Amino acid sequence: MRDFLKNPVGVVGLTLLIIVLGAALLGPWLAPYDPQLFHARSRLQGPSADFWLGTDQYGRDLLSRVLHGAPSTVFFGLGATILGVGVGSVIGVIAGVAGGTIDSIIMRVLDGFLAMPELLFTLLIVTFLGGGTTQAMLAVAVTFAPGMARIARSSVLSVRTREYVLAAIARGESGTWIVGREVLPNALGPIIVEATIRVSFAIMIGATLGFLGLGAQPPSTEWGLMIAEARQFMFRNPWCVAVPGVAIAITAMGFNLFGDALRDAFDPKRSRS
Amino acid sequence: MSPAERPVLDVRAYGLAYDTPQGTIEALQSVSLTIRPGETHALVGESGSGKSTLAWAIMRYLPPNARDLGGEILLAGQDLLGLSPTQMDAVRGRRIAMVFQDPSASLNPAMRLGDQIAEVLMRHRGMTRIQALAEAEAALTRTGIARPADMMRRYPHEASGGEKQRVGIASAFACNPELIIFDEPTTALDILTAQQILDLFVRLREETGVAALYISHDLGLVARIADKVSVIHQGRIVESGAVHEVFRAPKDAYTRQLMAAVPRPDDRIAVDDPAPAAALLQVDGVSVRYGNSSWISRVLGRAPEPFYGARDVSFQVQPGELLGLVGASGSGKSTMAQVLSGLRDFQGKVHFGGRDFTERRGFDRAYRRDVQIVFQHPDASLNPRQTIGTILSRPLRLYGLCPGDKVELRVRELLEMVLLPPDFAHRYPHELSGGQKQRVAIARAFAAEPKLVICDEVTAALDVSVQAAVARLLTDLQRQSGAACLFITHDLNLIRQLAHRIAVMQHGRVVDTFAVADAASPARHSYTQALLNAMPVPDEFKGVTAA
Repeated sequence: MRDFLKNPVGVVGLTLLIIVLGAALLGPWLAPYDPQLFHARSRLQGPSADFWLGTDQYGRDLLSRVLHGAPSTVFFGLGATILGVGVGSVIGVIAGVAGGTIDSIIMRVLDGFLAMPELLFTLLIVTFLGGGTTQAMLAVAVTFAPGMARIARSSVLSVRTREYVLAAIARGESGTWIVGREVLPNALGPIIVEATIRVSFAIMIGATLGFLGLGAQPPSTEWGLMIAEARQFMFRNPWCVAVPGVAIAITAMGFNLFGDALRDAFDPKRSRS
Repeated sequence: MSPAERPVLDVRAYGLAYDTPQGTIEALQSVSLTIRPGETHALVGESGSGKSTLAWAIMRYLPPNARDLGGEILLAGQDLLGLSPTQMDAVRGRRIAMVFQDPSASLNPAMRLGDQIAEVLMRHRGMTRIQALAEAEAALTRTGIARPADMMRRYPHEASGGEKQRVGIASAFACNPELIIFDEPTTALDILTAQQILDLFVRLREETGVAALYISHDLGLVARIADKVSVIHQGRIVESGAVHEVFRAPKDAYTRQLMAAVPRPDDRIAVDDPAPAAALLQVDGVSVRYGNSSWISRVLGRAPEPFYGARDVSFQVQPGELLGLVGASGSGKSTMAQVLSGLRDFQGKVHFGGRDFTERRGFDRAYRRDVQIVFQHPDASLNPRQTIGTILSRPLRLYGLCPGDKVELRVRELLEMVLLPPDFAHRYPHELSGGQKQRVAIARAFAAEPKLVICDEVTAALDVSVQAAVARLLTDLQRQSGAACLFITHDLNLIRQLAHRIAVMQHGRVVDTFAVADAASPARHSYTQALLNAMPVPDEFKGVTAA
């Protein structure tokens, strides 16, 4: 952990994450106004003493809306990732441990899924399931699973041929023990790291879906949706697009940098000398 | 001083430190070393002694956290410490060349071998591509490689380890450098190939008169090829001088310790010959086939030719005996270890303790308890996320060898048995040195109270001095427990110290089996004789003790 805090990338990532998670947990209480409250006299204004980040086309306070949108956006990312990573890792571990024909079949099916562009695949699933936050989250999770399965599998495969696993097999240990005690604890590192980086992708895909009108529905304060709604007023007040846009960027960057630093910290070649 | 007298390389009181998160580590302290024209200077030390760091310091190719602590590195009188990176680029390859340990890792896998030599010539001697290719072929011919023109067009994966190392040597000699640094050039090779590479080195050195810095951990080898030797220990040169003087009368205690650790065939440390009895293990016509075709290639009717890792192998081990299984890499000796520890499918019959096994699944828990294996790499054979205590207690619990409340006590006993402090039980593998880890792996094998322990190259990854200690420990444990041992190795000198009988494998077959006392007999197979004569121990080493 000390190595982690010495890494400037890690410190920046962690700081951004704390800000974002703070907003996600406390946002609704910190917001100065009701996010749905119209201020008809001050529409599409820039930052001022009353409205710190300006207002949108209905005169709603952008700061309040971004703060209220934080929980849904961040937890969307986390939820989709946890679901996708969980399902994907289980599939990957099964393929890696089983090997042989089972492995071949699972991986060929997943290759089929991977052949489709991620966003297109998500759109396809959303069309099946219908719009809405939960559906969008499921769609993102489904798109994540094949990639995660590949990573989990390669991680398991690299550990599976280690001599301590061979030693356990030679001892006559049960399959459950070998997988649970010898293989998994050593294969988890790459999976956790990849999961952190994927949170940022999930948030961006979620925002994209919101922007396309397939995720959260108005008057939700989801960030992608905020950008979509404000799009036509972009030239009259750039703030109403920039504020949620920057919020998405900060969140994505926070998770990304954090994941990068985590990967470095897990890498024994870098952390131990 | 006339130019002929002037040293090619003169390192004067050079020091180097690494800045790490745990603090500054002084890797080299006031190192001085002189190499005159045409001289071969050997730098001998164990892993972590700083010998490779010195090589990279001379090449001025150091990681960003390395820091010079003063001193001078003079190449023909010119201080390399003051050179800019661009000036250094002109020195590297042109005036100082380097030959690396692992030929497969030091060649670019996506480039033809000929192009890799030609690249050096085009870069440093300003040749055109056609000239360079012709010169590269000439350089390759000088290394005595068979069919050099053909070799020029091959990619690294199409050449053997020995051929690749010849290419590495050819490109090092290509620009007629003043100094060549050899960083353990034969360690990754088989003994017979290593022997040829050494002969090549000696011949090229005589032809070109190049000065060489030869880095090695092998004192026996150094004694045969070097003029001068420096012994390096913990970043300091503890002893330096002409080879025959240093080895005839070593002054420093560490040098003596290293020399005493070199395995000498006549210095037996084996347990007494076991009384003749029925064989404990009898391997009967065992074959292992690699590359089983996948179902898809079977469907397509494109099954590849089967490749045999072991073919019709037969040998036996008596109770309490130590059988040495030797051979070059790829000869099938590790395959046999995997078969006997139930890690690989086989055809044939294994007879053990009155029972017959004809397939891998037949090995039950009773067999697996009686036959334990110790692997080559101590870093890889212990689970990094378990404490030593957990690792050692596992066989006890798995085979129900001792009641739950006694396990901790038994783990302490096991640690004491392999001469480690009992409080190591709470440590993790990465807190231990390589030798200590190998002791833990050996303790784990003996914890099961086995009848047969398979040791797969257990000393190959260890330093010489640690190697000797581990070998002694193993025979001590054998003496105490009465277990038989199948000791797989490529070190003919070591195995003649340890074994009662030796089986020699070549290309997956056992070509010779003999009692150690008969090793010198003219009746030995020609391959056995070649192996036995490849690495003689110099006379100076006899009778040296670590005083």
